Amino acid sequence: MDLRFTEAQEILRKMARDFLATECPKSLIRELEQSEKGYSPELWKKMAELGWMGLVIPERYEGMGYTFQDLTVLAEEIGRNILPGPFICTVTSTFPIIEAGTEEQKKEFLPKIARGELILTAALLEAEGVFSPSGITVSATAKGDNFVINGTKLFVEMAHVANYIICAIRTRSGSQPEEGISLLIVDANTPGIKCEVIPTIADDKLCEVRFENVLVPRKNLLGKLDNAWPLVQMLLRKGAIIKCAESIGGMQACVEMTVAYSKERVQYDRPIGAFQALQHIMADMWTAMQTSRYLVYQAAWMESAGMPCEKQASMAKAYVNEAYKNLTKWAVRLHGAIGTTYDHDISLYYRRSKSADVAFGGTDFHREIVARQIGLA
Amino acid sequence: MDFELTKEQEARRQMFFDACKALEHKKPATMIGTETTFTIDECWEFHLYCAKEFAKKNWLALGWPPEYGGTGDIMDRVFFAEARGYYGIPGVDIFGVGMLAPTLLAAASEEIKREFLPPIAKAEVMWCELWSEPNAGSDLAVLSTTAIKKGDEYIINGQKTWNTGANRADWGFGVFKTDPAGRKHHNLTFILLDMKTPGVTVRPILYMTRETPFCEVYFDDVHVPAKNIVGQENEGWAVVNVLAGFERSGMGEVASMGRILEEVVEFLNETKRGGQPLAKDPIIRNRIAQLACELEAARTLSYRIADLQSRNEMALMDASAAKIFYSELGERFAFTMMDILGPSGLVKFSRWAPMQGHWERAAQECFVTTISMGTNEIQRNIIAWYGLGLPRMK
Repeated sequence: MDLRFTEAQEILRKMARDFLATECPKSLIRELEQSEKGYSPELWKKMAELGWMGLVIPERYEGMGYTFQDLTVLAEEIGRNILPGPFICTVTSTFPIIEAGTEEQKKEFLPKIARGELILTAALLEAEGVFSPSGITVSATAKGDNFVINGTKLFVEMAHVANYIICAIRTRSGSQPEEGISLLIVDANTPGIKCEVIPTIADDKLCEVRFENVLVPRKNLLGKLDNAWPLVQMLLRKGAIIKCAESIGGMQACVEMTVAYSKERVQYDRPIGAFQALQHIMADMWTAMQTSRYLVYQAAWMESAGMPCEKQASMAKAYVNEAYKNLTKWAVRLHGAIGTTYDHDISLYYRRSKSADVAFGGTDFHREIVARQIGLA
Repeated sequence: MDFELTKEQEARRQMFFDACKALEHKKPATMIGTETTFTIDECWEFHLYCAKEFAKKNWLALGWPPEYGGTGDIMDRVFFAEARGYYGIPGVDIFGVGMLAPTLLAAASEEIKREFLPPIAKAEVMWCELWSEPNAGSDLAVLSTTAIKKGDEYIINGQKTWNTGANRADWGFGVFKTDPAGRKHHNLTFILLDMKTPGVTVRPILYMTRETPFCEVYFDDVHVPAKNIVGQENEGWAVVNVLAGFERSGMGEVASMGRILEEVVEFLNETKRGGQPLAKDPIIRNRIAQLACELEAARTLSYRIADLQSRNEMALMDASAAKIFYSELGERFAFTMMDILGPSGLVKFSRWAPMQGHWERAAQECFVTTISMGTNEIQRNIIAWYGLGLPRMK
């Protein structure tokens, strides 16, 4: 057991922290929130030069060949600086290709992803907004060498700028909801696809994607026909852990900002951080962060080592969801009125803690997985 | 970063688990939680029996330097705590082995170490702590029980309180005012004394369970050899800080709750209400899953502390956070189970009590962890002042 980051991880962490501090100031984040694209192509290019999009892509496909754990180290820094854009959705959508793609698919997509030439996203949710298999109803029928998709996918992050959308589609109706689900790699520019950004709390460009007789070539089937649910679960599990890592980075930033502010802000002739009513809340914020941290590190380590960790990943997501929301709430309150303004950084984190909660499964969704995993009948 | 134990560590951890499991069938049915060690005679007898068994394996000296008869390392101590916690096995004197021995190793003279460490390792002497007084709790340094030096003795007068197991202990350690005119933090001495010394009166305090986990101790001209001190005369406060600085991972408490959670799952699967197992109730599932997540968070933080300890690094903030977190998780656990159980949750150990009356007891004993060993409010001060660098209260 050694719960320190490796030297290489420390280098990655420091590089990411310094890079984001310079290249992604909060003013840019506000600008991107209100922009149509929601990301900066210029910044995207620089991130690609650092190798971030290809971090976990194997070297033979022009990636860096780093581990999943390394990626969570980077995700923590991204969360600390709340970098907007399609980075997280691209790397999480890459996992099914790495895991289940054919050699041809890997050769076609992975090098381009690694070079930052492609933006990917995953379309899992629909109007019900649930991550369970029963929530996948949009269907595709086979027609010659193509699948034909009809229906509407919802809350698809950054779909409006994506080149490819990994779609979870029902290709057959089975006796169990998890049967008959397939993953398709859909070119976002295929005729019949209409994309619209949904206004959301964190301006994170969740989209409505409508499919009207959209033709997808059979060769773009990812993994096994009708049997892609385990692949979706893998994507959800990895995504949940990455989102947790982002959240602990966000918590770290909020604790630091709140403690610093409480040392500066003077009322009743002393810094407000001298009052125990506030000190104890800050101590609780720190405790919430630190209890989250090692829970997430454990899940990241297990996932990275290829150990089964559905339980630990769901425990982390269920716990961190609540911890991050609660911590950012207190961060706003301890800042007082100024913390509630659009121009104050703390409100950026508060809004993101809400979207982080929902991403890859909310608290109750993951608690139900935990309930099963600990043996409740 | 990895959470993986080495093969050797796995084997040693298993050894502690096997040993504790082997003792489990001898455990009295009345032994529910660690407090019963002090409150129920047969549980104290079992504690002494286990202590002797562990002494035979030299497990009461885990992590001590070899020159004082030590064996193993910090991780062994963590595994041992985990195993005892999981099986609910006593046998490690929390005061002698847990607090005094590391204090002696860090701060006592060679002579005192040689005299007092071996009986602790051999489970020959059971200790109690003599810290708090009626008017000195969290602000311990203002205590007023005096130990005035006369010749080669101290003469102690005054009163201590909240002394866990003082009615069962052979010896006690504590801090006493040796220079009543001296300035705060430089007027106290850390003294070791035989609880059978004439003038020592131990009076039981009735806890809300109507049992006696702790006592008051009165001192009326109690003569103690002047050599029985740890550290320098009038510098006992520094020794108190040494003791407070020993990191506690909380692994035992967390493992204990982990075992209870397993039993709760079994209970909920077997117990029916309205014709279906309680485990099928979505509200109950959600609440139990939440506790399971929190418990896992506590467990991973314990590993973090153990990891720091094993490299001799300070874990002050983490140890305070862990103490706050697992103790308040204990409260939430008890409160949640009382909700789920309804009227049967109110029943003491008897025929109608679910899970041997564990929750009726836990609902009252949860304060033991939130208040003792530095209240959780003091722990929050530690995180705020020493960790986050916020201005200290004057």
